[in-house]
Amino acid sequence: MQYGMIIDLERCVGCHACAIACKAEWEVPAEFGRNWVHRLGPSKVGKELASTYYPGLCNHCAKPPCVDACPADPVEMTFKDAAGKTITKSVAATWKDPVNGTVQIDKSRCLGCGACAEACPYGARYVNPALVDDVSSDGKADKCTYCMPRVEAGLVPACVQTCITNARIFGDLDDPKSDVAAYVKKGAKGLEPKGGNIGPNSRYYGKKKDITLLFQESTPAAIADLGSIKRRAMMASMVKPAMRKARDLGLLGLAGAILVKGLTDEKNDK
Amino acid sequence: MAFNLTRRKFLQTASLAAAALPLAKVVSAETGVTKASLEPKGTMGDTTVVGGLCEMCFWRCQLVGKVRDGQLMKLEGNPKSIDNGTSICARGNAGVKLLYDVDRLKYPLKNVGKRGEPVWKRISWQEALDECGSKLKAVVDQHGPQGICVFPHGASAKYPMHYFERTVGTHNVSEASFFQCRGIRDAAYVATTGKAPNETVDMANSKVIFLIGSHLGENIHVSHIKAYMKGLQSGAKLVVADPRYSAAAAKSDIWVQIKPGTDTAYLLAIMNYLVKNNKYDKDFVAKHTAGFDKFSEAIGEWSLDKAAKECDIPAAQIKEVAELLAKNAPNVAIHPGRHVSWYGNDFQRERALACLTALLGAYYVKGGWFEPKPAKLGKTSWAPQEHGNEHNLNFNKDKQVYPFSPPGTPTELIRDCAISGKPYAIKGCVVWGQNPMQTIPNQEKMKAVFNAMDFVMCVDVMPTDVTMWADILLPESSYLERHDEIKAGTGKIKADDPLPTQFIAPRMPLVAPMFERKDQVYITNEIAKRMGHEKDIPVQTLEELVDKTLEPAKITLASVKADGGIHLQPGTSPYAMPEDFKVQLFNDEIAAAGHPGAPTYKAVEGVPKGYARLLYGRAPVHTFNRSQNNVWLNHEMPDNPVWLNDEVAAKLGLKNGDTVGFINSEGVKSRTTTTVKVTPGIRRDSVYMYHGYGSANPLMTAGVGKGVDDQSLITKIAIDPETGCHGMRNNFVKLTKDGKTLDIPA
Repeated sequence: MQYGMIIDLERCVGCHACAIACKAEWEVPAEFGRNWVHRLGPSKVGKELASTYYPGLCNHCAKPPCVDACPADPVEMTFKDAAGKTITKSVAATWKDPVNGTVQIDKSRCLGCGACAEACPYGARYVNPALVDDVSSDGKADKCTYCMPRVEAGLVPACVQTCITNARIFGDLDDPKSDVAAYVKKGAKGLEPKGGNIGPNSRYYGKKKDITLLFQESTPAAIADLGSIKRRAMMASMVKPAMRKARDLGLLGLAGAILVKGLTDEKNDK
Repeated sequence: MAFNLTRRKFLQTASLAAAALPLAKVVSAETGVTKASLEPKGTMGDTTVVGGLCEMCFWRCQLVGKVRDGQLMKLEGNPKSIDNGTSICARGNAGVKLLYDVDRLKYPLKNVGKRGEPVWKRISWQEALDECGSKLKAVVDQHGPQGICVFPHGASAKYPMHYFERTVGTHNVSEASFFQCRGIRDAAYVATTGKAPNETVDMANSKVIFLIGSHLGENIHVSHIKAYMKGLQSGAKLVVADPRYSAAAAKSDIWVQIKPGTDTAYLLAIMNYLVKNNKYDKDFVAKHTAGFDKFSEAIGEWSLDKAAKECDIPAAQIKEVAELLAKNAPNVAIHPGRHVSWYGNDFQRERALACLTALLGAYYVKGGWFEPKPAKLGKTSWAPQEHGNEHNLNFNKDKQVYPFSPPGTPTELIRDCAISGKPYAIKGCVVWGQNPMQTIPNQEKMKAVFNAMDFVMCVDVMPTDVTMWADILLPESSYLERHDEIKAGTGKIKADDPLPTQFIAPRMPLVAPMFERKDQVYITNEIAKRMGHEKDIPVQTLEELVDKTLEPAKITLASVKADGGIHLQPGTSPYAMPEDFKVQLFNDEIAAAGHPGAPTYKAVEGVPKGYARLLYGRAPVHTFNRSQNNVWLNHEMPDNPVWLNDEVAAKLGLKNGDTVGFINSEGVKSRTTTTVKVTPGIRRDSVYMYHGYGSANPLMTAGVGKGVDDQSLITKIAIDPETGCHGMRNNFVKLTKDGKTLDIPA
């Protein structure tokens, strides 16, 4: 099974309802987004004018570079399919679900290093600085989950439910009878990065000139060297505890100073 | 003049058949899942509260709220809705952030500084109401009821507007929705067909959808867009006339890149072509129109070539569109438009649209103009009283100055009277939900009006640019916190239902109001008591008002609430033509009033050398300036880049993202700057920006100063001669960059 999202640009009118519904559903801070809408054009496509939209979100890729970039210590995780069959695999703080094909994050183990966000060619991840715990005081990575908690509760993703023209279609790409599979058959394509082969599962369908414009303007640059991203992130996560320690000492120092001042004041009062 | 146009006729709201059905089941019980500190919980387990009715714009989609521990987490379309279904637009979704906007008005405020440069002091409701009541009473005692002018807007403004108009007795009421927006459309169609057209074109079933300037997609009303998309997906051809490659133009089959202001010439040429070539609906014209001969003679000069030259478009394209319409008639949707107060020649253009619809036989047919019939409701409000026309500024002795004015008094008549004191003094001003600083052209003139007043009061949910001019500023409960407005419309439960279903959706609060916000019935009644009108008060509470209005439908707030927030009942066919339906192709009444009886094109002022015409329109995520401070919507579109033709930009050395300001042909400079959007999708003689940006009020901490206020550059005033409504697209600008003024090359 591979969940996927089709965005039908023939239907999309660029209203941004998807972006705002997602913010409300998942309490996304105002300045970030798990999804987005960019207006493209009007520009010349060949001899024609074209203008369309890039409603973007996590692509839950077949080979997600974000997952490979996560430097968190791996743990064993067991996944269960509808028939009850289990698959156990070793995962870092973000992984591709072997059952439904979505890419998910365990925020409790996320280091907040941002390597995954840097590795994603689509900019589909961000670090939410409001989410902190003992593991990370720098925030936690966040992104579109294809609304798995809603889907598991029998609902459709929030963006799909609110879409005013039914331009967003969600389903199982592996099921040949699904609407999403029918769109793929009609030619819906994912925005594969230049020279990449990561298999994005959010796909676009539309008039030829609109699709041309979308791919012209929104195809991500070639994927960055994952090795170097990971190295940088690991370096950062090694440096961070030390930095945090220094900062905490600093705070302690400040608290100490206040305490000392208080004691002194108290002494003076006497 | 027997042009008896009631406000009610204007307000006949109706919705188009909605295609969507609920996608999701509503989970109404707490699941008992404990909140994880890192993982947002989603709204699936939150309590569903029914009865919401959106007012982020004025289409009024039906909502449910997802409430957690008394806090509204999310808004969704009501699954029971046969109008918007479970869909709501970006603005509808962002209602949560209006509700909890930290900048919202919380307490009654008194301006202890100057008008326009306020210093606010929190006061009690008692003091605020005493002040409003005594100051307004003093104006009435000294100058008569006509000494009060009212600028209302939105659902909550209807009750106070009726109070001041009917009970106090002033004619000086100017609704922006009429005089700066759609009033001309409604007046022109009423004069042509006897019906206010709303936007009830059956796009879902059209073979051709014909839009003049309507930028659907940038202008979003959910059920309307659903019908539009259903039509397009079913193969309707889309024709869009717009100087700009709008969101709708981008979906069009034929884009008519028309020269601004010439639309009427274009329509006349299409109609003349249909008449001359016998391609009009002769049967419809014979049975349902009057004045065909005079009409066809009057438009006879409009050859394809003449219009092609005037409109700066190919003659062959005009012919192509005319043929397309003729071939697909009568199943063609000639859209009446919405905001139509453009050039000061707009009544005639709207008449032309109504006449074109008739030539195509496209009234009361599938895919044409039709008339959805919502349920009849009551009219409970302040009792109408006769006040005569002695102090009606639109009357000169017995003759109307603007014979086809929408209800109320044309704005410019009120402003001129207020500033000059002639023919009488206007000394009190009530602004309720409207932002006249950013809806009415010429801000300096608006300021002069406020400065001429003895007393100005504003009621709103948010600080806006006009609230800076209030002496007393009152905080209103928002549409999510009060009962109110009833949306009555029609839709289909199943797409293939033979007849539509009527729905009645009275607004119910989703959460309780916070701070000291009050509703319009409380505020108006308290002021009325202080002005000596206690005995005239029609209802004590907003709930009572709504329940009385619901009475004819034999339902109550309680019954509708129990029924999921929406009452459904069988409807009737929207295609049934009334027996007396007649289209006045030539209107003798208009001719008798001294205006052209057949649709007539009047050229507008050309673009002066070195300038570009300033065009403006809707941003899909904003309702004018009302939503600029909404942090979610602000994040989506924080400013309004100015569209500049790519060849013009190249000559000026401007590139995408450059920062520019503006100066208009009357020397008025923009207060702020914006960025340039370089595109081949706009004519060389025009620039375009989204309306509703560049707010000046520092209390709007998220929105203040972002983008450019197009309204500040609209200083030249055009008046539509038949209606007295404003035209706002006859202003011309140059760009400024780094202190230099850039001449727009020809």
